[in-house]
Amino acid sequence: MADEKPDIARLVDEAAKAIGLAIAPEYRANVLVNYERSLAIAQPLLEVELDDELTPAPVFRP
Amino acid sequence: MSDPLSKQATASEIASAVMSGKVKAAAVVEAALTRIETSEARVNAFTDVVADRARKRAGEIDAGLHRGPLAGVPFAVKNLFDIKGLPTRAGSKINCDGPKAPRDGSLIRKLEAAGAILVGGLNMGEYAYDFTGENAHYGPSRNPHDPTRMTGGSSGGSGAAVASGEVPLALGSDTNGSIRVPSSLCGLFGLKPTYGRLSRAGSFPFVDAFDHLGPLARSVADLALSFDTMQGWDPDDPVCTDRAEEPTSTELGQGIGGLRIVVAGDYFERGAESQALEAVATVAKALGASKTIVIPQAAAARSAAYIITAIEGSQLHLPRLRARPQDFDPDTRERFMAGALLPGAWYVKAQRFRRHYRAAVQKLFGEVDIILAPATPCTAPKIGQVMMKLGGVELPVRANLGLYTQPISFIGLPVVVAPLQRPGGLPIGVQIIANHYNEAAALRVARHLEKQGVASAPPA
Repeated sequence: MADEKPDIARLVDEAAKAIGLAIAPEYRANVLVNYERSLAIAQPLLEVELDDELTPAPVFRP
Repeated sequence: MSDPLSKQATASEIASAVMSGKVKAAAVVEAALTRIETSEARVNAFTDVVADRARKRAGEIDAGLHRGPLAGVPFAVKNLFDIKGLPTRAGSKINCDGPKAPRDGSLIRKLEAAGAILVGGLNMGEYAYDFTGENAHYGPSRNPHDPTRMTGGSSGGSGAAVASGEVPLALGSDTNGSIRVPSSLCGLFGLKPTYGRLSRAGSFPFVDAFDHLGPLARSVADLALSFDTMQGWDPDDPVCTDRAEEPTSTELGQGIGGLRIVVAGDYFERGAESQALEAVATVAKALGASKTIVIPQAAAARSAAYIITAIEGSQLHLPRLRARPQDFDPDTRERFMAGALLPGAWYVKAQRFRRHYRAAVQKLFGEVDIILAPATPCTAPKIGQVMMKLGGVELPVRANLGLYTQPISFIGLPVVVAPLQRPGGLPIGVQIIANHYNEAAALRVARHLEKQGVASAPPA
C-alpha cells in the first residue's frame, strides 16, 4: 500500500473542496504540478525518523 | 573616498561628508532622485518614490535636526515595509486596495532617527514567495550588470537599486534567502541577521517562523552601520530579542584572528555550477580555511523549510486566494493554492525536525566559528527563464535559486553574503555563516575579504 502512487489530482480536488478553495480549471494543472513538486521536495524530511520526545521548536510565551 | 554625490558613494562616506559639512543632505537627496529618474527605465527597482518627503527630511537634517551616524544617507525599502501614507504592496496588486500605512515600519523609523532619508519603496516578488525578482504586476526588477538577467528575489528591487547606485543602502526581507539571493546575483554585501535580532514590526509578513529583515549595501561598513542602528528590542514584534544590543561597527577592524573557519561540503557542493564552487574556494583560500565539514541533514532542512513556507504562507493568503485568485501573480497563485492543501502533519514534523537540526548545528558551532557556503548555485539566470541545469539535472529556477540559503535561515543563523567580481562575467556571492547572535564574526570575515580585495561590489 505504502508504495502505491497517490492520485494527486483527486487529492487536490477533494482537499480544495474540503477547505472551500475553488480552483478554476485554468489554474488546476499548475496547482497539480506544484503539489507534485512539494511532495518530491518533502521526501528528505518525510524520511527522517524523530524521537517521540522531540517537540516543535516554537515557544508560546503567555 | 568617493564623491558623496556620486553613485559609487557608500552610506558611511555620505554620512561623514554630511556630518562634516562638506555636502548638504539636500544635495545628496537631489543626486539620488536624479539617479533614480535616469536608471529606472533600465533596472525597474522602485515602485514608489517619496521625493517630497525625502526633500523635506533633507532640509530638516541640514537645519541641524535628526543628526546621527547615517546623516543624509538616502535609502529605500522593499515594498513590504510600511511607508506612512502608502498602501503596503508586498509586491501585490491586491494590497493596493488595502489601507494606507498609518506610520513607517519600525526599521525605517530607526534609520531615519539616525539621520537616514527614505526615498522610496522597492519592487519585489509577490508576497515574497519568490527567488527571481520577477513580478507580473510591476514588471521584473532587472540586474544592473545585465538588464536581461534576473536580480534574484524576492528583494529584487533592493538588489537593483543598490547595485545600480540609485541608493547606497536598501532594506530587504529574507525568509528563505530573499536578501542573500539578490545580494549574490547583483554583487552586493547583504546581511541576514539572526532570527529575531531586528524588529519586523510594520512589515507585511510571509512566514512568521522564518521572516527576517536586513540591509543590502556596497560595503561591509555600511552593513554594520545600518545593522547597529536597527538593533534593539521592540514590543511590537513578539519574536524580537530582548538581548542587549551588540554593536558590530567597532569590531570590523579585528580581522579574522581566532576565528575557526571551515567550508560546508556535501549538500552545499552538490548541484552548484563551477562559478559558485570557485567563489567559495577563492574565499576559503583567502581566509586560510582548508577544512570541510558536513552540516548533517541539510537536505531535510531544506525540505522542512520548503514545507513550513508553503503551509504558513498559503494559510496567510487563503482568504485572498478564495476571494481574488485572478488578482494574484500567476507565478505565486498556484504555488500558494497547492501549499494550502498540504498535510498538516508535514508542518508539525518540519517544526519538530527544526529543533533537532538546530541542536545538531549548534554542536558544530562548538568546533567552528564560521561556515562558508555558496549563496546561489549559479550566476543570474535570464529573466523569464523557467528551468536551469544544476549538476546536470534540469530543475525549476524558482524553487532552486535558494537551495543553499534555505537550510541556514531555517534555524535563523546570521549570514553575510560577500560578493565576488568575475572579470568578464556576472558577480556571485558566498555565504559567511556564523552562530546565533554572532553577526560580528561574519561581518569581520567579510570586512577582511573586502580589505584584501577578494570581495567587492562591482562599480555601480
